Amino acid sequence: MDDILIKILGAIATVILAFTVGMTYGGLSRKVIARIQNRIGPPWYQNFIDNAKLLFKVSNINHGFMQHVAPLWLIGMSVTTVLFIPVLNTGGDSWYNSWFPNLNFHGDLIFLLYLMVIGSLGMALGAGQTGNPNSAIGVSRGLTQMVGFEVPWVMALVALMIQYKTTSITGLMAAAEQQGTWLAFSSPFATLAALLAMPGMFRYSPFDIVGAPAELASGPVSEFGGKYLSTMMTSGSIFAFVKLTLYVDIFFGGANNLVELVIKTFILYMYPVLWGAVSPRFRTEQAVRFFWGWPVLFGIIALIQASL
Amino acid sequence: MNSLIILLFILGGGALLSYFAFLSKHAFGQAVVWLVAIASPVYFFTQVAVGESFSFSLGGFELALGFNHYSWVFALLIMVLSPLSLIYSTGYMKSRLRLGTFYFSFIFSIFGMMGILMSRDLVSLFIFWEIMTWASYLLVIYRGKDVEHTGIKYMIFSAVGAYSMFMAIVILNREMHSFDIATVIQNFGNMNAADQWLTGILLLIGFAVKSAVMPLHVWAPGAYTNTPTSFTAVFSGGLSKMGVYGIGLVLLNLYSHSDFSQVGIYLAWLGAITAVMATFRAVFQNDAKKLLAYSSVAQLGYIVAGIGLGTELSVFAGIYLAILHGAFKGTLFMAVGAVERQAGTTDMTKISGLIKNMPWTFFAALVAIIALAGIPPVGGFVGKWMLYEAAINSEHMFLVILIFISSTAAFLYSFRFLFGLFLGQQEEETAHIKEAPAVMVVPMILLSLFLVLMGTFPGIIFKPIAAGMAELGFQGVPWHMSVLYNMWGDSVNLTYVSITFGTVFLLGLVYITLIARKGTKHKLSTKDIHTAGEIPKPEDNLNYSLDFYKPFERVLSPLLKHKLDVYYNEFGKGLEALFNFMRRIYTGNGQTYALYVVVFLVALILLSGRIFGI
Repeated sequence: MDDILIKILGAIATVILAFTVGMTYGGLSRKVIARIQNRIGPPWYQNFIDNAKLLFKVSNINHGFMQHVAPLWLIGMSVTTVLFIPVLNTGGDSWYNSWFPNLNFHGDLIFLLYLMVIGSLGMALGAGQTGNPNSAIGVSRGLTQMVGFEVPWVMALVALMIQYKTTSITGLMAAAEQQGTWLAFSSPFATLAALLAMPGMFRYSPFDIVGAPAELASGPVSEFGGKYLSTMMTSGSIFAFVKLTLYVDIFFGGANNLVELVIKTFILYMYPVLWGAVSPRFRTEQAVRFFWGWPVLFGIIALIQASL
Repeated sequence: MNSLIILLFILGGGALLSYFAFLSKHAFGQAVVWLVAIASPVYFFTQVAVGESFSFSLGGFELALGFNHYSWVFALLIMVLSPLSLIYSTGYMKSRLRLGTFYFSFIFSIFGMMGILMSRDLVSLFIFWEIMTWASYLLVIYRGKDVEHTGIKYMIFSAVGAYSMFMAIVILNREMHSFDIATVIQNFGNMNAADQWLTGILLLIGFAVKSAVMPLHVWAPGAYTNTPTSFTAVFSGGLSKMGVYGIGLVLLNLYSHSDFSQVGIYLAWLGAITAVMATFRAVFQNDAKKLLAYSSVAQLGYIVAGIGLGTELSVFAGIYLAILHGAFKGTLFMAVGAVERQAGTTDMTKISGLIKNMPWTFFAALVAIIALAGIPPVGGFVGKWMLYEAAINSEHMFLVILIFISSTAAFLYSFRFLFGLFLGQQEEETAHIKEAPAVMVVPMILLSLFLVLMGTFPGIIFKPIAAGMAELGFQGVPWHMSVLYNMWGDSVNLTYVSITFGTVFLLGLVYITLIARKGTKHKLSTKDIHTAGEIPKPEDNLNYSLDFYKPFERVLSPLLKHKLDVYYNEFGKGLEALFNFMRRIYTGNGQTYALYVVVFLVALILLSGRIFGI
């Protein structure tokens, strides 16, 4: 019984960590973009304030059950994935290390790829029920863009899986530990392909056509407000942490303690943010063509490298 | 009497009886259909077992019937899906004409399928195969729509398949002097290599036609669309699996000890390419039924890829997906049928927003779509996972990428399907539409609950599949109730997934319902949305349904230009020209024929010296 209790407490700690880090990064990115545009920008904790404000909105609107539960698919997905992703290396010896293993050894990468889709599906269904044409257009663009970036991303992952004869994240991390270098150095092309696919996942400019604010009125989220938007924001923050940690775990040697994790994920996070800050927006087909160009070529090279 | 014969008797007799019963009185016919739908599965699950056999001789052939563990797996699928579809039909086909023909063909095709699975020799396999094909052909042309195109295409492809299968059987018999499948397997190695390849390819063509593998798939989208939807559930869900059954039989059983088994990998590639191309076509369909038809072809591509790869895990995945595909595609076709019956169309540009009118149908379709897309925690994920892992473990990496592209693009049409029919704007014209009757809804719900169950406890059907795998030469395949392992030892524990996701979802549901409960409004029309200050009138059309995936179409336009169908049609036109020319010779006019006879005789007399040496 104690065992389960500790597990649950560990899971809660992990989720809180992911939430805090994700929200802070979101706020910082707003600040960074503002400074690039020569504005002062909101404080780093602005996202926490926004979230709380949304949560305490008195009036909320939904068009039916699917919209009502749409944020729950998202939060269910992001909490589940954060529990399956190794937050820290097993080698670390900090006092809090035993909090984070959660369900790390009970799922593998292919499983995670599919798990990550639940949220988008639920979101898409909820947005669909509102009947807002902008939402549907946004979803159709989002799904198309997903087909785009998933191809190089999966190529990179499959290359690594075949090269190191394991499909689990912990297995890949162990392989990195064994060879003493990050997989980014031993499989550079897979890393390149994955990194080029990454901005598509974060949907910063130039890949922000999905929710293009001025054109589509934020697209899929346009009919969500109050508690719904707050839940979605929470989930989005956790999920940003998930994606960043996944990249750090697989390609950049994981992290032995939280400080290392924060430094690595923050540097990684700044890459789509800074790219986005200085880029105009791609049309959907341009985005897909971008992903199916160089990133796919790197992916193919990575696959060939893996088979040698 | 032997239980196998009784089962065939129930189905065959039921088919005939239903025909005559509908001739006399409608209610009488309904009763017969219900009787068959209940009696056949009850008898099958209680009385029939693996290992029972029955042999007899017919016209000099020694025929043998009996299930083995491999065919049993498919029999389970047929005996669950078909009765449910029959029950569904009693609602769906209400107040249609020629019900006698419909139910006769329907039940007779079930008879054919069960016969195929029972056949232990090639002759009865062929006979039952033809029964199944002709019964399903009658259903393809039942509605009389587009017969000259779809119906003939289905018939030609089925005939090509049947003839090549027949040729293979004749050659095998010439070499072995036996039709018995077990004997053929034993003596197969003694045949010369040329015969091995010839018979193998001929048999594969025969089976691949039914499982719609490229380039033999062109009949499928049209035939699936034109068939009455209640039979399409069985057509796509069950009947196509006979091809899968046959491919498994040929590749892994009959030919497993010869070089021919190398063909499997090419078949796997064909399957993967079929999956990608059919998925891309499905994405751009505006008709929900046609979308599902293309999607069926794509899903069969995965299954064939799994069987073709030929590793333990991939075959396991292939068979599992075959069963699951039966369940979810059956559900989806039933859902589309319900919409078709209630709303009068399946065109997604004409109807939308049916979720409030048909909530149960929506629920069933939602679960089935999640299974189709392979998203956990519903059963489809299990099969997808095993297929990927099998391909990765055997290092067929480009095959994995192909399958992955197809299944990611499948999200596109999955969403389109749900959005097009059930979500989006609720128009006044569709406000009168009601939920389908219970006989249609209950089978769907039952199948979708099965899919949910498979998401956490796939071990329930792993057990028969593992037993069936032993027949194919994979002894002692390991399986667990709810943990999946690949060949490198990596695993997924499904219970943790379901519990975590379920808990968060339920807690979230309580939370999001309770918080600010008083201020939560939900009785709004779908016109009550953010439109940047403009107020839409009730008659304004705000539905986004035409050219739904235009950007994706732009990306793929170079690829989609080529359609295999065109080449077949060109070939057909060429033949037509040839026959037109022939018709000039055979004019049907007696005088012309008389002229031919005279010309022929004159020529004979003139040339007789040269020819006969007189």
